[in-house]
Amino acid sequence: MNNSLKKAVIAASLAASALAAPVAQAADVCSVWLVENSRFMGVPFGAFMPDRAFVPGSTNKSNNINTVDLPVNVGVIKCGNELMLYDAGWNQTEYHKATGTDHWSPLSKQIAQLGFDAKDVKKIIVGHGHWDHAGSLDEFPNAILYIQKEELRGIEWALNYPGHERIRAVNDSPGGCARTPACGYPSKTMDSIYGKVLKGKAVIVDGELEVIPGVKIHPAFRAHTAGSQLLEVPTSIGKLVFGSDAYSSWEGIRDWNIANPQQTDTVQQFLAYEQCYKITGGYQNCVCAHEPLSYTEGYPLTKNSWVGMNGGRLAEIALAPGEKSRKK
Amino acid sequence: MQIEGSGSQRTARVAAVKGFGVGALVVGLIALMAVAAFRETARPKPQQVATTTEANRVERPAVTAEEEAYARALWPIHAQVKQDAVKMTFAGLAYKMGDIKREAVRQRVAPLTPAFDSAASALNKLHPPASIRELHGEYLEAIKLYREASVTMVKVAVDGRDAHLVDAQLLSEKASGLTLKVGETLWPGEFKPN
Repeated sequence: MNNSLKKAVIAASLAASALAAPVAQAADVCSVWLVENSRFMGVPFGAFMPDRAFVPGSTNKSNNINTVDLPVNVGVIKCGNELMLYDAGWNQTEYHKATGTDHWSPLSKQIAQLGFDAKDVKKIIVGHGHWDHAGSLDEFPNAILYIQKEELRGIEWALNYPGHERIRAVNDSPGGCARTPACGYPSKTMDSIYGKVLKGKAVIVDGELEVIPGVKIHPAFRAHTAGSQLLEVPTSIGKLVFGSDAYSSWEGIRDWNIANPQQTDTVQQFLAYEQCYKITGGYQNCVCAHEPLSYTEGYPLTKNSWVGMNGGRLAEIALAPGEKSRKK
Repeated sequence: MQIEGSGSQRTARVAAVKGFGVGALVVGLIALMAVAAFRETARPKPQQVATTTEANRVERPAVTAEEEAYARALWPIHAQVKQDAVKMTFAGLAYKMGDIKREAVRQRVAPLTPAFDSAASALNKLHPPASIRELHGEYLEAIKLYREASVTMVKVAVDGRDAHLVDAQLLSEKASGLTLKVGETLWPGEFKPN
C-alpha cells in the first residue's frame, strides 16, 4: 500500500470513527428512572432513623416528625438496548391490607407505565435479598439475577445459628424481626431466588463485578445485610450509585445518620456512604431505597416526578443522548 | 358612712353586679376560647408534616378470642415450618453453587420430611374457628407440598438429575405462597420494612 492510499484509509477510518462516536457515547451513559413500588405508611421516624426519633413538643427539625411514609424505590436502568432493574420490590398483597401499606402495584405493570415490557428486562441487580427488595423476581422471567454470594452465606449462617431465637434468618417472633441480626428472608423470596439459580438465570457475584461496561457492582457487606451491594451507573448527569438499604435514606447519607439499621454494622454503612461520595463526588447522586422525601424537591435527584397507577410515583432521573422522555 | 342602701337600691346594685359578673364571665370564656384556638393553630403537628395516611388507613377487623388462640397455637408450628422450608431451599442453593455434593443434599433434606410430618400432625390437633377454617386448610396443604418437595429433592442424590430439584422447587414455592398468605393474615407484623 503506498503512502497516499494509507493516508486515505486512515482518513476514512477517522471519519468513520467520528461518525460512530455519538452512537458509542450514547451507549456509554444510561437512562435512569425510579419507580415507587409501594409505600410503607406511618412508620415511626425513630424506628427508621434513630437520630430522627420523635420528641413530643420538640421544635428541633430533627426530632419534630412523628411518623414518615417510606417509599419502596426500584431503579429502572437502560443502557443502550440493555434494560435492567436495581432491586425488585415486593408483592405481599395481604400484608398491604393489614398494615396500611399503600400505592402498591405489580412492578411489571409499573415499568409498563414507562413503556417497558417485563420480558425485556435482562438483568436484576438486588441490593440485598430481603423480601421487599427481591420480592417480584417471578414477574421478570428473562432477567438474570445478580446477588452476592456473601448474602447467601449470611442467610445460611443465620439459618443454622443454634443460639437465641432472635438471631434467625426467618423470624421466630410474631412481633416481627426488627433488630435481629439477620431476618427478612421469607421462604417465598428464597424460593424465587433459588428458582432463578435452577433456571440458569442467576449470577452469584463474589465482590466487585462490571455488569456491562461502566455499570459496576460494588460490595457493601454488612452495610445493611451480610452481602449488600451497590450499583454504579454512568449517566448524563454524572455517575449515580444505587444503595438499596445500605443507604435507605438520602437525608441519612447527607447528614451521616444511620438508617434502617436492623442488620447493619453501622461502620460498614458509613463506609457505603463514603463509597458513594467517592464515586459520585458527593451525596446528591446517591439513590436511596426508602427516602421519605423521594419524588419531591426535598430529594433533588428525584424531583422530576409524576404520579402513576394507584398513586405510586415515578421519577425521570437522567436521559442518555437520544433517549426520549417517558414522563407522563 | 352609709354601708347599706335601701332595699330597692340594694336590688338594683345586686342586679348590676350580677350583670357585670355574667358579662365578665362571657368575655373571659371568649378570650379563653380565642387563646385555645390560637394555640391549637400555632402548635406544630408533627404527624401532619410527614404523613397523610391516617384517613386512608384500612382498619383491621377485630380478632376474636378463638382466632387469637388459634394464631397463638399455630405460631410455633409456623416458625419451625418457615425455618425448615428455607433450610430445604438452601440445601439446593448450596448444591447448585458447588458448595456441597449431592449426597449432602440428601443428608440435609431427608430429616425435613419427618419434620414436616410432625408439623402436619401438630396442625391437625388444632381446632380452627369457622372464620379461619379455610386458612387452616391452606396451611395443611402447604405442609403437604413441602413434604412432597423434600421427598422429591432427595432423589437428586440417587441420579444427580436437576429435574428433581426443579420439581421440588415448584412445590416449595407454591407452599411458600400459602404459608405467606396465612402469615400475612394472622400476623401482619411478621415482616416489617427492611
